Amino acid sequence: MSGWRIGADIGGTFTDLVLRDDQTGAVALEKLLTTPEQPDDAVIAGVAALVDRSGLAAAGLDALLHATTLFTNALIQRRGAKTALITTAGFEDTIEIAREHRFDMYDLRMRRPEPLAPKALRFGVVERVMPDGSVHTPLDEASLAEAVRAVRTSGAEAVGVCLLHAYANPAHEQEVAARLAADLPEVAVTLSSEVAPEIREYERTSTVLANAYVQGIAERYLDRMLSRLAELGAPERLFVMQSDGGLLTPSTAARLPIRLVESGPAAGALAAAAHARAMGLKNVISFDMGGTTAKAALIVECQPLTAPEFEIDRRYKFHAGSGLPVRVPVIEMIEIGTGGGSIARVDALGRLQVGPESAGSAPGPAAYGRGGDKPTVTDADLILGRLGEKSFLGGDMALEIEAARNSVDADLSSLALSTEAAAAGIVAMAEETMAQAARIHAIERGVDLPDFTVFAFGGAGPVHAWGVAERLGTSEIVYPASAGVMSALGLLTAPIAFERARGLTCLLDDVDYETVNAALSALAAEALAEVEQAQPGQPSISRAVFLRYQRQIQEVRVPIRSGDALDRAAVEQLKTDFAAAYRAIYGRASEAPIEAVSWRVTASFPTPPAPFPEMAPGSGEADVAIKGQRPLWIGGEFVEVPVYDRYRLGRGHRFEGPALIEERESTVVLAGPAEAEIGDFGEIRVKRA
Amino acid sequence: MSLPDDPLAIDLLWSRLIATVNEQAAALMRTSFSSIVRDAGDLSAAVFDRRGRMVAQAVTGTPGHINSLATGMSYILERFPIETIGEGDVIVTNDPWKTASQLHDISVVTPLFRNGHLVAFFGSCCHTPDIGGRGLGADARSIHEEGLFIPIMKLMEAGRMNATFQAFFEANVRTPFEGMKDIEAQMVGNQAGADQLAAFLESAGLEDIEDLSDIITDRSEAAMRARIAELEDGEYEAELECDGFDAPLTLKLRLEVRGDSLTARYVDVPPRAQSGINVALNYTAAYTLYGLKCALSPDIPNNDGALRPIAVDAPRGSLLAAEYPAAVCGRHMIGHYLPTLVFRALAEARPENVLAGGFDALWDTHVFGDDDGTGKAYSLTWFSSGGVGAMHGLDGLSATAFPSGVAATPIEVAEERGPIRFLYRKLREDSGGAGRWKGGLGQSMAFEVGGRGPVWFSTMYDRVRTTAPGLFGGGDGAPGSVVAEPGGALSAKAVHRLEPGTIVRLDLPGGGGYGPAETGQ
Repeated sequence: MSGWRIGADIGGTFTDLVLRDDQTGAVALEKLLTTPEQPDDAVIAGVAALVDRSGLAAAGLDALLHATTLFTNALIQRRGAKTALITTAGFEDTIEIAREHRFDMYDLRMRRPEPLAPKALRFGVVERVMPDGSVHTPLDEASLAEAVRAVRTSGAEAVGVCLLHAYANPAHEQEVAARLAADLPEVAVTLSSEVAPEIREYERTSTVLANAYVQGIAERYLDRMLSRLAELGAPERLFVMQSDGGLLTPSTAARLPIRLVESGPAAGALAAAAHARAMGLKNVISFDMGGTTAKAALIVECQPLTAPEFEIDRRYKFHAGSGLPVRVPVIEMIEIGTGGGSIARVDALGRLQVGPESAGSAPGPAAYGRGGDKPTVTDADLILGRLGEKSFLGGDMALEIEAARNSVDADLSSLALSTEAAAAGIVAMAEETMAQAARIHAIERGVDLPDFTVFAFGGAGPVHAWGVAERLGTSEIVYPASAGVMSALGLLTAPIAFERARGLTCLLDDVDYETVNAALSALAAEALAEVEQAQPGQPSISRAVFLRYQRQIQEVRVPIRSGDALDRAAVEQLKTDFAAAYRAIYGRASEAPIEAVSWRVTASFPTPPAPFPEMAPGSGEADVAIKGQRPLWIGGEFVEVPVYDRYRLGRGHRFEGPALIEERESTVVLAGPAEAEIGDFGEIRVKRA
Repeated sequence: MSLPDDPLAIDLLWSRLIATVNEQAAALMRTSFSSIVRDAGDLSAAVFDRRGRMVAQAVTGTPGHINSLATGMSYILERFPIETIGEGDVIVTNDPWKTASQLHDISVVTPLFRNGHLVAFFGSCCHTPDIGGRGLGADARSIHEEGLFIPIMKLMEAGRMNATFQAFFEANVRTPFEGMKDIEAQMVGNQAGADQLAAFLESAGLEDIEDLSDIITDRSEAAMRARIAELEDGEYEAELECDGFDAPLTLKLRLEVRGDSLTARYVDVPPRAQSGINVALNYTAAYTLYGLKCALSPDIPNNDGALRPIAVDAPRGSLLAAEYPAAVCGRHMIGHYLPTLVFRALAEARPENVLAGGFDALWDTHVFGDDDGTGKAYSLTWFSSGGVGAMHGLDGLSATAFPSGVAATPIEVAEERGPIRFLYRKLREDSGGAGRWKGGLGQSMAFEVGGRGPVWFSTMYDRVRTTAPGLFGGGDGAPGSVVAEPGGALSAKAVHRLEPGTIVRLDLPGGGGYGPAETGQ
């Protein structure tokens, strides 16, 4: 161990890298344009550049920690493998029938997403397992042979296997896999009992298909990355981030790529959590606003909240139910269609609406002068002095204020307002929408937002965090340094960890200790096997169970405190802990019987030290960083406010709002009275007055 | 303090008011106990001003709940005039005539007080898992067989639970614990909405929402009137056949457009049925308004103002305006057809904004018995959907809930909860009507019942005697069927006694096509 690591995050536009020398604590950053055709190109180029710049030898690289949107994009753009489905005969249409649901009440043209495996690629095998794992009908050889033949004839490159109740007994799925491996060795296979062994056949099938769909891409991509790292002299040093914030080895990642889909945003949330720990903040809401969407995650007691499931590609105005459900552990994130490119318009009732339609980056906001003529949030920001005409992207891209004003005047004329007042309306409506989504998420999770600190990053996050905080009633906002590479930084804070889950429903008053302990041991062995080869040392094991009151739907994750075999005392402890957790979330507990739904075991190595280098104390007063003045629209009029150069502010510098602080990727807008101070790690800590 | 003049400030206040009901719904969903609320989303939430006018509703729920809650509030204020409601009071009812036309649908209303004055109400309506009586079914002869009737009454008074109500409720339903927990969840949700509104009024410097409510409802009304005025004056008529209880019956609708007002008048309505398919006028209005909204104004917010320009009328005491003591538990088997009837009336005027006929009435299955094989009683209820009608440019949705919007129960969950095994569940090939755009497919499923002793199988199915009609020359969808082996064809609206080992096969109806098939070739 020579003690240096690199975090590399491939985003839609940029590939960000951060190198940290764990011995000196020194950090170096690199930002390159993403290379969509061959995404590893930018990563390898970035690694080479960082190594070169830092004067280190590539062979000394301890770990390249990686997050990528590659698999999400393949699913959204439907660029994955030709994927077949093998399922219990008679249930081939489960994936299409879904939950029979509609996600918009009034839109007659609403459509659910197309299944990843069309009807012609769905094949049944005769077999039947019951909810208790017993076999009602053994797997029929002839039907299996026929299904495998059909897969071969179809030319499918990947197969998902999802048999009813396979979470309770995977034997039939394993037989199918063995036969596929023997007859069609070149076809990638995903089993539901491996990728998501939990009850609910539609969600499980959806997960299996999504995994199979991107398995080939993952395998080829990770292979190439490994061999190119080997060429650089750093073989076997790659780790990949999962959606729940744990790191995986490439071999596991290639098998279960669906676990990686939200890796970039997860890494961003981890960065926020690590900042919270380093700064002594307990509860934080991370607020990441980009060009088309805003994302928020709740970090409670320095831990991001997680969920057992999420939806990829909510393509109908980000509505729940309009995407592909996948049952994998994720850091819980809300995403709404409000970004810098969100378009403003006036609806049938004469009301101002902002988003979710977006001008994206092409044609982009009117101010970009690239052919866009619809007014966007960015245009409004420019009109109101929140963004500078000549300082956007460090001055590399001039913004056209006349184009911005014209777009607002043309499209929002029916409001009969001044250009500035209409622009202020756009900003207010965008911030209101984001604050409402955050507040509803907080209610769903039973937390009280005024106690939280807003942690703002992303290109538009620092521009709008003030307004969001104001609407949430929170007084503290933190603007981290290096906000443009937050996910890459977050990668460096992640532990190597892997969680295995199994559905096994039983009442806590009625636990079959032998079965449950056998399952827990098996899960622990499986989880350990995934992480043990990753680094030297002994990983630790933690266990949890999802509990609910009998027949209730909402489950609560409760840690199993004892490390030994589960016994009556441990179960009594679970009951007490569940009641306490339940009361904390819902305000009251009940006398109803408690039911265990799924059991989870995580093997993990310790969390590495925070990667944020301490900043040098600033010399003199903060005034040295003032590079000018600019009129900023506050409360219905323009007010002259100082514009600070963030790169000239040092630790301990204090100043007051209202103010603007410009950096290359964004602008911090303090739109009212506030105390601001530069913290130990270069972060701007703001207290609204 | 008065409202700001700035129109944008009003837009923001409006948006914030809508947020309070979404927050109310989120808190309700989070704390509810039963799967029907959480999994199926069978709930509604809304805020009312002092005058009982619905100002905003959550973007969730079923049309039957939402629109009937809107009208129900006026009955609640009739029973308890505003000066008789105190701080800490909560009101409850399941009166079918005054709210959602079924005893299972319980409405809970919580007032918000500020500085000693009542300023608003938060109300919600949820489907309770059980309300006693015969259980969910359409074969009762009168409301008295259908379960516990809760007149409009105080659930809480000055912050204290009405213990008499609770005792009566718990003694009369099969699932007292879950039922009470859901009612409590409704109170929690209402309170969450009320707390948010209180904070909102405080920060906006407003005493109440009366002025804001005037602006919101007036603007919504004006927008709705503009939409109606775009229709030519005149009468738009349609009729639609459905199964009925004993024999098929025909529903007839006449939309009367006069300038910017619209009356939806049901004519030649069959008399009250001697079974549970009767519909209270509230529910008739709810689904009629829903159909009109889908076709004319999906983008206009649903509130008292948007509903004002429309009147819904049916002869008193008829099937569509049933009165006490009619049985109403299966009212959706008639009520769910009303949006299709509205679409057919508007088809010539708005050919691109309407659907061909669909399966429409949600299929409710209830399987229960005293012994699941281990000596425990069990009770399984699930909802299933057939094919939706096609529309201009789009084939109909297959196996999708319209108009109800209620989600299905996973097979694995049903099998885990009772002695039942499904043999198949698949899309029903060729069940959609032919057409330039084809009707949605129904689905087929079969299940074997198990356990020991008799198994009770309650059917609430429709479109087994009639078909979903195509539009503009599109073909009809295939009708449904229900068959037992052994036993043969079964009645679609009855409680059947089955022996363990019996296999039940359900074929759900397909939707109608749109436009003649040839033109698309």
